[in-house]
This record gives sequence, structure tokens and C-alpha cells, in this order.
Amino acid sequence: MADREAEAAVALRQHLGPESVVTQETGDGIPTCWVAVGQLRQALEFLKYKVDRPYLMLYDLTAIDERERVHRAGQPASRFTAVYQLFSFDRAEDIRLKVALEDDYPQLPTITGIWPSADWYERELWDMYGIGVDGHPNLRRILMPPWWEGHPLRKEHPARATEMGMFQMTEEEAESFDEQLRFRPEEWGMSPMQEDADTLYVNLGPQHPGTHGPLRVIVRMNGEEISDLVCDIGYHHRGAEKMAERQSWHTFIPFTDRIDYLSGVMNNFPYVMAVEMLAGIEVPERARVIRIMLAEIFRVISHLVYLGTFAQDVGAMSPVFYAFNDRERAFDIIEAITGGRMHPSWFRIGGVAQDLPQGWEELVGGFLRHMRRSLRDFDRMVIRNRIFKARTVGVGVVGPEQAVEWGATGPMLRAGGLAWDFRKGRSYGGYDQFDFDVPVGSRGDCFDRAVVHLEEIEQSLRIVEQCLSRMPEGDYKSLHPLATPPLKERTMEDIETLIDHFLAVSWGPVIPPGEASMRTEDAKGNHSYYLVSDGSTSSYRTRIRTPSFPHIQMVPQMCRGMMIPDLTAILGSIDFVLADVDR
Amino acid sequence: MFSRRYTSPAADIGTRGLPSGAPRQSGILLTTLQAILGWGRKYSLWPFNFGLSCCYVEMATSLTSRFDIARFGAEVIRGSPREADLMVIAGTVFIKMAPVVRRMYEQLMLPRWVVSLGSCANSGGMYDIYSVVQGVDKILPVDLYVQGCPPSPDAFMYGLTRLATLVGSEKRPLSWLVGPGEVYRPELPSTRDERRPGREGETSLMPPEQATADGEG
Repeated sequence: MADREAEAAVALRQHLGPESVVTQETGDGIPTCWVAVGQLRQALEFLKYKVDRPYLMLYDLTAIDERERVHRAGQPASRFTAVYQLFSFDRAEDIRLKVALEDDYPQLPTITGIWPSADWYERELWDMYGIGVDGHPNLRRILMPPWWEGHPLRKEHPARATEMGMFQMTEEEAESFDEQLRFRPEEWGMSPMQEDADTLYVNLGPQHPGTHGPLRVIVRMNGEEISDLVCDIGYHHRGAEKMAERQSWHTFIPFTDRIDYLSGVMNNFPYVMAVEMLAGIEVPERARVIRIMLAEIFRVISHLVYLGTFAQDVGAMSPVFYAFNDRERAFDIIEAITGGRMHPSWFRIGGVAQDLPQGWEELVGGFLRHMRRSLRDFDRMVIRNRIFKARTVGVGVVGPEQAVEWGATGPMLRAGGLAWDFRKGRSYGGYDQFDFDVPVGSRGDCFDRAVVHLEEIEQSLRIVEQCLSRMPEGDYKSLHPLATPPLKERTMEDIETLIDHFLAVSWGPVIPPGEASMRTEDAKGNHSYYLVSDGSTSSYRTRIRTPSFPHIQMVPQMCRGMMIPDLTAILGSIDFVLADVDR
Repeated sequence: MFSRRYTSPAADIGTRGLPSGAPRQSGILLTTLQAILGWGRKYSLWPFNFGLSCCYVEMATSLTSRFDIARFGAEVIRGSPREADLMVIAGTVFIKMAPVVRRMYEQLMLPRWVVSLGSCANSGGMYDIYSVVQGVDKILPVDLYVQGCPPSPDAFMYGLTRLATLVGSEKRPLSWLVGPGEVYRPELPSTRDERRPGREGETSLMPPEQATADGEG
């Protein structure tokens, strides 16, 4: 593995010159190369177009405010570091490029010419860090409102709302905010509004039943046809990344549940695995299987909500009731095991919170039997429904090349025909022990996305069934000293253990300095946590890469030439939640 | 801590009680008519189809078969605030969303009620973070708070029945020409105080090692 990883870095060095690439060791083994700002575009172009088995997907683009970081030996001097993570499907590997920026309000060249999907990521860099992007087509705030002052992820920006004084909104302020949120087509490179019968701007959201949450879509209509469209996000930005910088490693877990709020513990998965990678914790076999079982039950839960609401978006009333009924049956299991419903926060660093309760086998077995019957109903009710087909076949097509180019993952990618699933392609957490298939579509339209989701439920049930029949005995949590919560057994016997326990509970574990990222196949696509530890009780920088962000960025190209009802079908078919877009 | 920061003149109508605690000078007919109207309002609270985040999913769950909010007459979800009686602030109130939330509240026709659903809407909850308003009562008046993160559909429905009790016992002016022009609203006792004896009476809880109390969920 190490040799092959080095290969991409070596090739990059050969291309750019011997002195131009500095490599960095990271906890996750992803080759990490520092390049100069001036050579950034050249390096990215090389990795996308010229290198053998190229890196076709811009997986993530973010930054780190390095100004207060202590442990960064061996890394070039930098005040802000831009981080580009690329993924190659041919290699099943990532590469990370880092660019050191020396100014307090630095400038970067845009890479939208290489990857058009960089558009929103670069706007986020500007919004969150105040990093200017030269040549960007429309560099404006994306998550924060236009009247915001400062850039929240800079270290000097306050984190707590209570530090910033109580939020009040006088009538004048409300009006001024309204005015600033007003849509002006010129700002988005569109022709101004005219008294023209054929061109019309329609505003959907931020409060609209079809947008699944506070998302704003502004549609430019040419007669009945959508000629262009702007997605305005940021109405659901909960500052999870800043939150991680003040929570302990352990107490951040509940915040991860609320990122993709439909898939509960599946959000804990990449986070705890990234922390375990930094801390060097081996998770016991039983804990791994419990994690996989719960994650797959949550995949079923999330997909059920998807199928129900998607069918409702295109006019079918019944499926949502069937779907939510089955979801309640799944929640019976989740409640019995974790005590919670939507956000159990059940994973812990080093394992899970508690062992499975007595009688879980019957609950899970009963659910599996029920869901198998239920899937046939969904097939008849939704997939074979003629109206559903008429609304979705051929609508919102995303081909595999387009999906890779724009960073689409999960069912969005698979519906287009590319059978790529991180549980198989780059297995994690013990998924390689399980037998399951990767459902794919062929056309990449809304209908295929629904079919892929339905088939994925079936595959998840297969995995849960294998967990049921092969649940290993043993510990549900690692005995490693950094695993949380720490062991209590001997605390009342000697003072050293008591002090250790007290510190580990009240301050939380101190994770060794380093960087690691971990990704998982979430219900909606690829979810990843990139953690930077500076050897303290909380993370120095937590980057959450969510699948819905690039997916929503793709909406305009899926909608052009369609009609408004198709927009509803397209939004319904994407499987996104706004917390997953805005974090 | 959660004082009302914002009250529009219109909102005052919904919050001002009569000093005597009872309608003045109203005859039996008017009182009965007011009671009938209150009863009608109580069982036809139409919620505005409005959701912000996770809590909305649980609110939507209360519409589906296992919970069935239609039992309380609140299943008529309206897409426009002008047709709705009740606005459930289901989720986190973001600063970018605050002017929008306030506008939609203002578009609700009188009489209107607001339920703050879940910790974020109640007080900011877990999210004491730069982009979140620390409680929706900073920008509009709230009639009832439901706790939970997110509240289970049962908790939401319990809150809804409490609100229905309040709505049913309110006395509102029949017309600006007839009877007193003010709203009489009784004080709603705190759920915590009401439930305390029952909670204190719970001495044996189901052990966590057991999957369910009765074997089947």
C-alpha cells in the first residue's frame, strides 16, 4: 500500500520539479503533498489529466487556519492551508494536496476551470475563512447571510452565539435582512427581470414543502420551461465544524448525529473511526458488527423516508404512510438497543455505548421478516406505479462521467451505472466480512435513483441478517485508555486509576497530534470527517464532507429544459437533507 | 432568560388576559357561543406545513398511521400561512432564516398560535453557535414549548393536546361590535409540576439489559 501511495507523489514531483513537492505523514495513510500556490493548478491538472490512472473526482476542498497550531513539525510555514482532496476510482485511492498561504487574508487561484464543482467549495472558503479566490465566477457568501461580518471558521471569530450578544431583530433590521436576501438576477449572471411575458423568475423556498427543508431555489422560466436555476443554501448552517473545536472528542459525537439527521448513528461512524485512527485504537470484533448492524438499520430507515417522501413529492399519497410505519418498526429496534430514536449517538470512541440487550435477536429477526414482505409492497406501490414512472423516467439524468466530475457519490453515482460503493471498493469497519451486492441503475434518472434506493434496502437487510446470524461474542468496547467513556471498574481501588478516570471523564481523552480522515458510505453518499488534532482534548480542525453539498450543486444542470413539476421530482429523487448540505 | 423580546401589536391580542379573569358583562348566550367557538377551534387546529430541521421529521411522523394526529383534528397541514392556525417551529432557527420565520408568522391569520418544538427552537439547545438564534422566542411570541431533541411524536402530540386545552378555554371577541374586545386566556399550569407526583412514584424502571417490557415493541 505504502509503495503505491508514494507513486502518485513521486510522479507529481517528477512533473513539477524535485524541490516543489513536500510530503507529509498522516494518520490515514493518504499521500499528502504540499505544493506552491503558483504550481497548484499545474499539479491538479497533472493529477486529473496526465497521470496514469487519473484522479477524476474533486472529493473535497477546504482549509485549515494554522495560526494557533503548535504541532506541525515537518510542514512548510503557513498561516492558512488550503486542502484539496482528490479521488481516483481506478486506483481506489485518494491524494491530498496542500497549499501554504502566508497572508492573513490570502488569495488562491480558482480551479473551477479544472473542476466546475469547485465553485461552491471555493465560495465556502471565502465565506468561512476569508480566503479570496482569483478568477472565481461568482465569489459571494454561501452559508452565512449576506449581512454577516467576519468569517466564522477563522480562529478569532467567536464560536458561541451567547458570546456575540443576544440576537434581536427590530422591524427595520428585519426589513433590511429581507432586502438583502432579495434575489437579483444580475448577481448570478442572469438577465435582469423584465416586463417580458416569456421570462419569469419563480422563487421556491426557503420555506416550501417540496424543498425538504430550508433550501431556496430560484427558477428562471422561459414560458413553461426552466431555462436556469440558482440554489441558495445556508439556511440550515449549524456551525458543526466550529462546534467541534470546542467540544471534547467524546462530546462531539451527538453533533455528528444531526448532520444527516435521517441516518442517526451512521453519522457517528466516520467520526469515531477517524478518531480511532488518530488514537491507534483497535475496535473489538463484536463492537464492529454491532456498529454495522445499527448503521444498516439506519440506512433502511433513511431510505424508507426517501421512498415515502419522493413518492409523495410526485403525487402518491399512500407510500409515505407505509414507509413511516416500517420506519417505526425499525425504530422499535433502535429504541430497544439505544433508548433513542432519531439521534441515538450510540457509537463511542473504541466501540459502542453498551452491549446489545437481551432479546434483540427476536426484534431484529421479526423486522427482517416484515421488511422482506414490505419491500414487495413498495415495488408494486412505487416502482411499478405508472404515474410514478411517467413522472420520473428520463427526468434529471446524471451520467457516470458527469457524476464523477461533480463529486456525486452514493445512489446518485450508482444510478448512473458506476458500481462504486465504499463498503466494497475501500472497505472499512469490517464490511469486507459481509456478503452483499451493489445495486446500479443504467440511465441515471430519477426513476433509477428510486430503484437503487429500494434495492439497497434489500442489501442492507442481507447485511443485518448476517449480523444476526454471526454476532461474535466479546467486548462491546475497546480496553484502550483513550476509548470513551473510560473504564470504571478499578476506580475505587487505587487513586491513580481514580484520577485518570476523573480526568478522562471531565476533560475527555487527549488525542495524539496528527491528521486523519475517514469516509463511509452514508445513506446519501459519501460522508467523511477530516480531523486535525493538536494534542488537546478537542479537535483543532474538523472538516465534514457531506454528500448532499455536491448533489445540490448539481441541481441546475439536471433541471435545465425541464418544467417546474420535474424540479420537484428531481429534488425528491436526490435524497438530501439540508443539515447535510449546510452542516 | 426567555423573556419575550418581540411583540407586535397584533400579537398582543393573543396574550392579554382580563384582570378579573372572566369576561365582563357578557350574557349567557354570548358565553355559550364563545365556548362553542372555542370548542370548534380546539378540534380544528390546522398546522402550517413548516419545518426547519430534524424536529420536523418527528412532527411529520405524528401525521402517519401509528401516531395519527387526525385523532386531535390537527392533520390538515396547510401550505400557506394564511390558511393555518398553528405554526410549529420545528427545528433550529437560523439567523439567516430568522427574517423569513418572522414574515411567515406575520402572515398567519388571527387567531394564531405558535408551538416551539424541540430544544433548538426553545433555547438554541445544543447549538450555542454563531449561526443559531438562541430560541425562537427572541423573534416572535410562543404559546407552548415542547422539549426533546428531537421530541418524539408522542411528546409533540401531548404538547398539541395541551395547546388544544388552552385554545378551547380561551374566550375571544365574537365581533368588534359584540361583547368585550379582549381575549380571555387562562393560565396553563406547568407540565413539570403536574407530572411530578407521577414521576416521583416511578420507583422501578426497566433495566437497560432488557430489550422490551412486553417482548414486542
